Amino acid sequence: MSHSDRLLDNGIRVAAPNEADKQDWRAVQVALVRYIRARGARTDVAEDIAQETIARLIVVHRDKRIASVFALGFRIADNLLVDHYRADSRLADEPEVDVVSEAPSLDRALDSQRAVEVFQRCLNRMPRLRREVLIRRRLQQESCRVIGEELSISTKAVEKHITRGLIDLRRAMERAGIDPAVWNA
Amino acid sequence: MRSDKAEIESQAATWAELMNRPLQDARAAAEFDRWISADPRHVESYAEMAALWQSDGLDAALRLSAANGPRARNDNDQQGYRWTPGNSGAPHRAVAARTLPRSQRAAILASSILLLLLTIPVVQGILAPEQSYTAARGANRMIVLADGSKLNLSGGSRLSVRMTPWSRDVRMEEGEAYFDVAHERFRSFSVDVGNASIAVLGTAFDVDMMAEGTREVRVYRGLVKVEAGGTGWRLPAGSGLSVSKDGVQRLNNVLGARPAWIDGWFDAQDTTLARLVDRINRTSDRPVVLADPALGALRITGRFRMNETRELLETLAAVHDLRWEEESTHYVLSR
Repeated sequence: MSHSDRLLDNGIRVAAPNEADKQDWRAVQVALVRYIRARGARTDVAEDIAQETIARLIVVHRDKRIASVFALGFRIADNLLVDHYRADSRLADEPEVDVVSEAPSLDRALDSQRAVEVFQRCLNRMPRLRREVLIRRRLQQESCRVIGEELSISTKAVEKHITRGLIDLRRAMERAGIDPAVWNA
Repeated sequence: MRSDKAEIESQAATWAELMNRPLQDARAAAEFDRWISADPRHVESYAEMAALWQSDGLDAALRLSAANGPRARNDNDQQGYRWTPGNSGAPHRAVAARTLPRSQRAAILASSILLLLLTIPVVQGILAPEQSYTAARGANRMIVLADGSKLNLSGGSRLSVRMTPWSRDVRMEEGEAYFDVAHERFRSFSVDVGNASIAVLGTAFDVDMMAEGTREVRVYRGLVKVEAGGTGWRLPAGSGLSVSKDGVQRLNNVLGARPAWIDGWFDAQDTTLARLVDRINRTSDRPVVLADPALGALRITGRFRMNETRELLETLAAVHDLRWEEESTHYVLSR
């Protein structure tokens, strides 16, 4: 890896494979563990997946410049986490060690019937325009620019509605006690 | 200034949508990495928002919303602000619902209402920075916060409160306090006790900061979430949690409408003498000192009146075969 490669990568100091800059990858790894835990994985699972993710990131990094190490890392971690749960669900249910925290995993919580009801109630209470923006963006995959044009508002305003809508949904979840990550050790 | 949490959530939500697009431009990508690296809370908030945005649950809810159309308004729900479009006459509603002027009107109406809702609290937030409260040793203190929440501070307690339009954050430094929290739909209420944090909705609970980092939370009304060491627990009324260096333990003996200490009592149930003494010293005019620290391990059961230190020592001495003496600055308890 040449010197110019380092400069190309905005923001992130990158390491050549042979003289791996441990400090940087460690920081990425710490962030990955946090991320995976916040997505509801147990600490030991999170550490395994972070480790595996880092290994794959380093391989990718050898061949090409990564625009966002974290974005790619999170995406790899997501996939590994799904794989993990898939493999895990084939096994018989292990008895929970921690009796006091009896919570479902993040995604199971977010996909439960109750969550759908909470989201629905929250959506119903939203300003109609915000709900419309969320439906078009998330469900119909329309771009913010197109949505803005169709609803006669600026692209910025569309993005604001999405941000605000997500916060509303998150608060609704919190109020309903459907709290992710925190509830699984 | 906006509260940190609200600011982070807002940024996280923006990133969650942005980074889930198939393509990102290089500048945004670099900016994202900088943002993630800047603060460990960023990655957590981002993970939550991304999970929410990607969830099948949201997908299903949006599908139902879209299928029911704009008329899907759950009028049974009484809580919260509700934007009511000016179309009570039903006939034209279905036709007019998706036309632009109405959407625009919706946007203008909605934003002006939001603005109204937010402007006043924002100003208050700026004018009301962190406020500290202390209860001197020897006396309890009652505080009523601007939102109507009532805090009962045991003698020798110290805490600070920061109220923003988005959050009510208490940082407890020392002692014990009973919180009777005013329910607010849009404002969270949390208590940070160093090694654990407690998030609540309208509810009443007691927090005791004990020696060696032990923290006890008891819930008298509503539901409380305690987070410690990356794990969370939900505590309904009548239960509690003890977090110490030895681990976490559920407390199931939370009885009554509020903690006994507020009424000047202490219910010891197989409690150590050290703990009882610690408690006495919060309200006693003169502290009680154990002649031998080992005495602190003695187990006590009984209901004690806290504002009569001598009477209490007399009772203790009689029941547990101890002796006590009054010195000029303190009481000494010995075997």
